[in-house]
Amino acid sequence: MSTTRTRRHWRRERLLPYLLLAPALVLLAGMVYPFLLGLYYSFTSYWLQYPNRFRFVWLDNYISLIEEPLFARALEFTLGFTLAAVVIQVGLGLAVALFLHARIPGRAAIRALMLLPLMIPPVITALMWKIMMGSTNAGILNYLLSFVGVDPVNWFGSTQGAIVSVLIIDTWGNLPFVSLILLGGLQALPTEPYEAARVDGAGPIDILRYVTLPLLSPFIVLVVLFRTMDSLRIFDVIYATTLGGPNDATTNLHIMAYQYSFQWYQMGKGMAQAIVLLLLVVIISYLLMRLWNRASESTA
Amino acid sequence: MTAQAVLYQAPQAVSYRRTVRQVAIGVAAVVLLAWTCFPFVWILLTSLKSPGDILSVPPSFVFTPTIDNYAALVMGEQRGQYSSTRPDFPLFFVNSLIISVGAVVLSVVAGIPAAYALARFTFPAKNGLAFLLMSFRFVPFIAFVIPLYLLFQKFGLYNTHGGLILAYQLITLPFTIWMLRSFFQEIPLETQEAAMIDGCSWLGVLTRVILPLSMPGIAVTVILGFMFCWNAFNYPLMLAGRQTFPVTVGAIQFISYEQVLWGQMAAATIVAALPQLVLSLMVQKYIVRGLTMGAVK
Repeated sequence: MSTTRTRRHWRRERLLPYLLLAPALVLLAGMVYPFLLGLYYSFTSYWLQYPNRFRFVWLDNYISLIEEPLFARALEFTLGFTLAAVVIQVGLGLAVALFLHARIPGRAAIRALMLLPLMIPPVITALMWKIMMGSTNAGILNYLLSFVGVDPVNWFGSTQGAIVSVLIIDTWGNLPFVSLILLGGLQALPTEPYEAARVDGAGPIDILRYVTLPLLSPFIVLVVLFRTMDSLRIFDVIYATTLGGPNDATTNLHIMAYQYSFQWYQMGKGMAQAIVLLLLVVIISYLLMRLWNRASESTA
Repeated sequence: MTAQAVLYQAPQAVSYRRTVRQVAIGVAAVVLLAWTCFPFVWILLTSLKSPGDILSVPPSFVFTPTIDNYAALVMGEQRGQYSSTRPDFPLFFVNSLIISVGAVVLSVVAGIPAAYALARFTFPAKNGLAFLLMSFRFVPFIAFVIPLYLLFQKFGLYNTHGGLILAYQLITLPFTIWMLRSFFQEIPLETQEAAMIDGCSWLGVLTRVILPLSMPGIAVTVILGFMFCWNAFNYPLMLAGRQTFPVTVGAIQFISYEQVLWGQMAAATIVAALPQLVLSLMVQKYIVRGLTMGAVK
């Protein structure tokens, strides 16, 4: 009697996690299925306007993408933008974190205010800056820059202006993220290495170089990972400001995939483009994660 | 600077050094604050300007404020004698609320038992499942939105609140499960074992121990999940229509081929950002944890 009870209880307990997971699994299946369907479409000539041309074309979409001249430019912009954004944002973010970590009057207020750009919709951030950049003459940003001797910038009309605009807007929205994570990291660092370094007579630069940065490295790699993943896929800000222009100067792989699929309705090609971007994100993230594991092991 | 060097320094040099340091800190603080806050200040000012003041060269800081832009937002498209290009912003605001609340409720209802299972049980597919949830963070949205667009068109979900709530599960469900799991794992096992000895079933442990103890964590997850939904732009851009646009897609409707309605767009960005500003101050301690899906606490 008691053995059957325990056995029934045991079996129920083995099933229980799956029962608990069932609702989430149903929803997850609803996410995985469209993705797999899309993956299949990337091997087809799916063109919304010409349904009767639909057939399986193997790797044709991928090959024609690579032959597309715009693809190389978009890939270059995607990688170049990511590199610039990550270097600028992590560099400035580290400076801001070190600044806030020192006992600054009003630190709590600055910290709270820094959350504001972080949590408003990125597309709203883009529109706010679009208003400030405005037309070349009437924008407040050019007006303020004129006081420090900068000539009016044609923000969205010139290729360089557009690239710089997107970088500025993305940095404004994401600098707080980097700063807050690194500040949290700084506040969690042990104090003993600092005392030891001070006893050894190390100056502030030495302490930063040989104590703080190595100890902080897992956090630095972590923000680099997050920012890289998001910069490779940036869409909202570009869509709301330049839409990839002028002259395709700010077209990254994500915008290009959007153009294929939702401007020309070539769903197969758009999906192939999306898969290429996904592979790029996965490969770069994987390399950064290995770096993160190594960084956390060496400091642990 | 070694200790000996400081000893030999004249007192005036030390105080001079300190003044320079304090001035530098003050300047840096002002620059940081201006960089963070000025865009909000300027957009608020712009939203209170008449079209003439907005386009004045040089930009005007002193002007007669007007609430015309906000009034035009509230009137919307159907109400009043405004031109046909004007977006129906009150409707977009309500849409944002419906979709965000719906998506969060669905994610929490499905996510609580799932997070409990991942936090407390060991079963074969556990690590694979946790990885699958995390992997959604890598996928560019366009890879989901192309097939979803085609499926939604086919099954009548395109341009419906229900369809968008389902699509938003891509944003909220993995996040909710990871966050709740990390909160559930913080509850000491002993408390749960004590409850089981007292005769609670696994379900009893969940409802009588875990849920009451992790209420603050659930609240944080709900608020952050709501904020991520409110921020969503690209899914509704492709999957919603004029009747279901949220505020994020609504705000770009002020840009048309003929003109940009700067003042109303400024007012719209203020209205779209306002709930986020209030909510982010409520959950400020948890924002970093939320944005990294629990990786940084």
